[in-house]
Amino acid sequence: MITAERKPLDEIIAMILPFKKVLVVGCASCVGECAAGGEKEVGLLGSALRMDARMTTKELETREMTLERQCVYEFIDRLTGLIDQYDAVLSLACGAGVQAVAEVFPNIPILPALNTSFLGQTKEAGLWLENCRGCGDCRLHLFADICPVTRCAKQIFNGPCGGSQDGKCEVNPETPCAWHLIVTRLEDRNQLDLLEEVYAPADWSKKEGAGPRKIVREDQQN
Amino acid sequence: MKIESQLKNVLAAGRFAVTAECGPPKGADPEAVIKKGRILKGYVDSVNVTDNQTGVVRLSSLAACVLLLQEGLDPVLQMVVRDRNRIALQSDLLGASTLGIRNVLCLSGDHQSFGNQTQAIGVFDLDSIQLIQTVRRMRDEGQIIGGEAVSPPPYLFIGAAANPFADPFFYRVIRLAKKVKAGTEFIQTQCIYNLDRFKEWMSQVRDRGLHEKVYILGGITPLKSAKMAEYIKNQVAGMDIPEPLIRRMKSVPAKGQRKEGIKISIETIQALKEMEGVHGVHIMAIEWEEAVPQVVEQAGLMPRPTV
Amino acid sequence: MNKENLELNVAIFFCQQLDPDQDSNRRVIEKELGPGIKFFPLPCSGRIEPLHFLHAFESGADLVYLITCPVKSCRYQQGNVRAGKRIAFAQNLIREIGLDPERLILINIDPPLPKRIDLLTRELLEGAPVKGHSLLSRL
Repeated sequence: MITAERKPLDEIIAMILPFKKVLVVGCASCVGECAAGGEKEVGLLGSALRMDARMTTKELETREMTLERQCVYEFIDRLTGLIDQYDAVLSLACGAGVQAVAEVFPNIPILPALNTSFLGQTKEAGLWLENCRGCGDCRLHLFADICPVTRCAKQIFNGPCGGSQDGKCEVNPETPCAWHLIVTRLEDRNQLDLLEEVYAPADWSKKEGAGPRKIVREDQQN
Repeated sequence: MKIESQLKNVLAAGRFAVTAECGPPKGADPEAVIKKGRILKGYVDSVNVTDNQTGVVRLSSLAACVLLLQEGLDPVLQMVVRDRNRIALQSDLLGASTLGIRNVLCLSGDHQSFGNQTQAIGVFDLDSIQLIQTVRRMRDEGQIIGGEAVSPPPYLFIGAAANPFADPFFYRVIRLAKKVKAGTEFIQTQCIYNLDRFKEWMSQVRDRGLHEKVYILGGITPLKSAKMAEYIKNQVAGMDIPEPLIRRMKSVPAKGQRKEGIKISIETIQALKEMEGVHGVHIMAIEWEEAVPQVVEQAGLMPRPTV
Repeated sequence: MNKENLELNVAIFFCQQLDPDQDSNRRVIEKELGPGIKFFPLPCSGRIEPLHFLHAFESGADLVYLITCPVKSCRYQQGNVRAGKRIAFAQNLIREIGLDPERLILINIDPPLPKRIDLLTRELLEGAPVKGHSLLSRL
């Protein structure tokens, strides 16, 4: 999923300052799962902003709603007819959601309430870990299903570096050394031969490309 | 005729090599480099120049190498993959060779979060092993990454680092083998304080026959004080100082600790000289270049060969 | 009972496991104190959501309590531990908008169980911090 975290409230308060009627819109997919932009978080943020406005004698009217997804037109369309009644939208979606909504309603400011973080997994309740960089060239099968691009601080394909000690990364002793995990799991799987391989430089063009990437699938088109 | 790397000449002649390290200053000061070079001249075969070590901005390694070259020393250009992508790295390799530098040491580099530019992006386009491979292909096949020709190719003696003390231990020698496979010709190791572990690693190196494919220079860093020993033990990842060594440093009054540190270095070098497959030493006297002539002399490594 | 606190708006969230007769017991004190006091029984204090607290403050509560079972005697093991984390989260949030976080109070009651919610409430209001009306309830 795409993970995100709420911006500090004072930043959000400053962002909505010029607007009197604000539509607070959540996204129930990824950022709902990571407890940053789902229905509950929309409720919390709406309530906090209204209380702040009252205490600082600002005029603010809000309405809260949560879309299934803010990055897909059919869901964004639920705002049609409603959005015109507001001066701005405060979006609790990832950066993709904010931009997708703005593309449908280009004349209304869509304000980002979240800082988008990373592609990750829910490791346990209240803990999310980054484990994919979307490099466009997955080679997990060579590295015991542990991504060196994402989980090694130096994205080493031929690791580990000399700073791995007691299985921890020197950059952050709370983080396991990805290469320690790779080596140990390959050993458990009897695949140590994979370690002898010298892996060639990555093709970052699949990640960096020529600006933003795109996927075209004719079979999926209308 | 091409000028050869002095380091390569000494090693090829079967002599026990001595290299040292020179950290460039935090400033546009040629004198600081020249001063360090003059201290080392005559006592070592080559001098490594660090590349923004620990992620701290310093005078560039390439520029400092040129200054040492002008002083008649044989510099080893350290190159980390942290700050430059493959375009810049390959360009600087051509530049270094053009300026007469004959040695390069391929490194990952300390992570930027340790230095004074913690908000910098870490490039890591290549890793250190891929950099070794890149230099080797440029030199031997005249090709840059992707296969395009460069002519004339850079002329460089290729080195890398190895850390026998990091984890997981069984894997350290596999990684060395990968560096050899990628094309490194010499290795400078992490500082050796734990001789037992180093011996164990060397025996694994010999089991794989790697000591016949690559020159190994053992890393030596003379301890300045018991405090430094404890700091390294507790604060520096990938370094291993056994407890008895710390006790030994502590048993000496503060005034005599530098002398004791030098003594330990000399004993380590003597042990290394006896070890099959060790071809030299790399003395990293951090901001203490004056120690190098003492260590070299007292370890019986003088005079340096003129080959 | 502290006279000043009698005039405050108080919201009390509490775990029903504390008092099997909470339904009738709380009516006594509700009648006595009128609309200034509101009770919200929960099946377990771990079911609380920070949003409940915010809505209580937004509706004009001056003090908000969450009463949980004694430490280590939650019927669902971790419920009251979780409740403490939810409180901390909500306190941070109200601090961010300049509302005194000490108006949100966690009470882990002492054993033994059961307790009477009306007696418990009297005790709480007696010892309540003197905070006066919040800016929100005054507006």
